[in-house]
Amino acid sequence: MIGYHYFDVQLKFRDFDTVELTPIYFRGCVLNSLESFFGEIGGKTSLDIIKFSVEQRRVVFRVPEEFFKRTHTAITLIGHYQKVPCHFRILKTSKTPLDFQKDIGENDNCEEAQIDDCQL
Amino acid sequence: MVRIKNRYIAVQIVPYAPVKSLRLNDHTLTKCLLQNIEKYYGVYGLGVLEHGFRVKYCNERTKIAIIRCLHRGQRYVSSILPLITLIGDVRAKFRTLYTGATIIQCNKFIIKHQRQFLDRMMGQVASAKERQDLFKRVMELDMDR
Repeated sequence: MIGYHYFDVQLKFRDFDTVELTPIYFRGCVLNSLESFFGEIGGKTSLDIIKFSVEQRRVVFRVPEEFFKRTHTAITLIGHYQKVPCHFRILKTSKTPLDFQKDIGENDNCEEAQIDDCQL
Repeated sequence: MVRIKNRYIAVQIVPYAPVKSLRLNDHTLTKCLLQNIEKYYGVYGLGVLEHGFRVKYCNERTKIAIIRCLHRGQRYVSSILPLITLIGDVRAKFRTLYTGATIIQCNKFIIKHQRQFLDRMMGQVASAKERQDLFKRVMELDMDR
């Protein structure tokens, strides 16, 4: 069985009215960033969106365990979404499924968004 | 005191159609390799590899080159070599011959490899005339398989 890592991401845009926020576009944006930073071999992975809320501008998605660090890096480095300056903030990462309702600190398996500088 | 570890990769360039000269130099080879690394491993791979990367030796007549890279970037180079089909503007592929830690070991291997190749070819030809022809061609470095 493949282990997954879950991400809870907050999306911030400079000009929200001009962007079209859909799960598919968001997924494309993350995968594009992964491919540009890690290339065709290092950056191809499966990314499943589990929860998506346009009102709250929050996304919960999962990636396979071995792509956790790379995805973390790629999301942090995204600066544009549909040519609009943006910033994706990782609120929480976890090995267990995440939800919008759960508060930070409720789940013991959750870890705060931290990445060390060892090899990706 | 920390030593910087390098790896030297000896490669043979095998052109698709027999050509006498590949019109290759260190720069075109470096450019081709780095472009492919960026394609397959992205900006991150390029960043890891670019430091310490150099084509140390490139002989367009014998079609052999030696690539130097850092120890940690060795996997990146050796894994993309089979994927390259176009070097500069020539249709060709890479054949990895040897990976060594010093350039002397690489050099030794290349000499051994060329000697073996010559012995094999000499063994295959039957008549003395052909043997002389082959010898002449070797001396002019006009070897195409």
